[in-house]
Amino acid sequence: MKKNAFIKQLAEFCEFSETDFSFDTKLKSIDGYDSMAIMSMIAFVDENFSIKITATQINALSDFNSLMNLLGKEKFEDD
Amino acid sequence: MGCKIVKTATYLPEKVLTNNDLAIEFNRWEPEKIEAKLGIRERHITAKHETAGDLAFNAAETVLDNYDKDRIDMIIFCTQSPDYFLPATACILQKKLGLRNNVAAYDFNQGCSGYIYGLAMAKAFINSGIAENVLLLVGETYSKHIHPKDLANRTIFGDGAAATIIEKQSREQIYEFILGTDGAGKNNLIVPNGCFRSEYDENAIEITNNAGDIYTDNHLYMNGPEIFNFTIEAVPSVVNDCLLKNNLTLEEIDYVIFHQANSYMIEYLRKKIKIPKEKFYSNMLLTGNTVSATIPIALDDCLNHNIVKLGDKVLLCGFGVGYSWGAVIIEV
Repeated sequence: MKKNAFIKQLAEFCEFSETDFSFDTKLKSIDGYDSMAIMSMIAFVDENFSIKITATQINALSDFNSLMNLLGKEKFEDD
Repeated sequence: MGCKIVKTATYLPEKVLTNNDLAIEFNRWEPEKIEAKLGIRERHITAKHETAGDLAFNAAETVLDNYDKDRIDMIIFCTQSPDYFLPATACILQKKLGLRNNVAAYDFNQGCSGYIYGLAMAKAFINSGIAENVLLLVGETYSKHIHPKDLANRTIFGDGAAATIIEKQSREQIYEFILGTDGAGKNNLIVPNGCFRSEYDENAIEITNNAGDIYTDNHLYMNGPEIFNFTIEAVPSVVNDCLLKNNLTLEEIDYVIFHQANSYMIEYLRKKIKIPKEKFYSNMLLTGNTVSATIPIALDDCLNHNIVKLGDKVLLCGFGVGYSWGAVIIEV
């Protein structure tokens, strides 16, 4: 998956008020990043990657880059 | 020998807490957005001295209307907010409902899987010849466990009760069960203080999470994302195992009722398990998540509105606090 497309799709899935983020946008700075958004993130990752990520792993994430690293760098391509 | 659900009834406390009420109190979210996401617009909340026992009593009075109550020979009451540490609330209800003395009565502590466990026990008692007509009650008042400043949990949970009569009959209409447990999840939905492992602490420190919800160890704590992870992993297998154990396929099931946790969660599970939308109950709009009462409230609604019909096979599945889960297929 292309990195920018991943971020955009994830942001839409989580229903953030904007979807234009950079790789190093701090997740906790996003308006609407709450437990419902984290649930959506878990669902998105389960649906698209068949990977289970825990709330603890998500809490430890800093930005979109760290999420992509957690899921496996090899799954993403540069745009 | 077999048994069957013959009557159901529900009771919700009078006081209603709407999303608008919460939006005014907290000024943190838009009521319409919450309704769209969680499928909850309002929930019923008990008054200060109104208990799970009171709610169950009212549901029982309704279910026993036009029923010879002397036929009841067992009361099973499921709650995680009992009236007292002791005695069992079921004993108090026996007297209050005017049931005969030679009935068995006991409580059990279980949450979102509680109704399934209750049906399993009712079936076991009936099929072993110990009881013939069981009054299964579930009543929950999680609102009493929740910190007043915990918006997330006040949004999700509502109080409520349901009553079900299960009768002995010649043919089995409560099919085979799947029950399961994973105590490793205990800390993800818990009221840490108040019993004897850790007593109520009047100086408990207030904890504020990232979203601004406040709670203490005297109150209910729920790690929503971890509970969601648990359900993604457990529920598809539970449904599949229950179908296999009953030699049935999803196509042969007329209707499916899951524990009504929140609509986002159960809709995700529905899609994952590939249950057709028209066969799937999702309605917690006016009740919220009433824990062990959601499945019988849903079943009662289905029976009252002909959503399920005589002869239909309905799969019931409960999952949550414990972790604990259960599923069964009933024939209406």
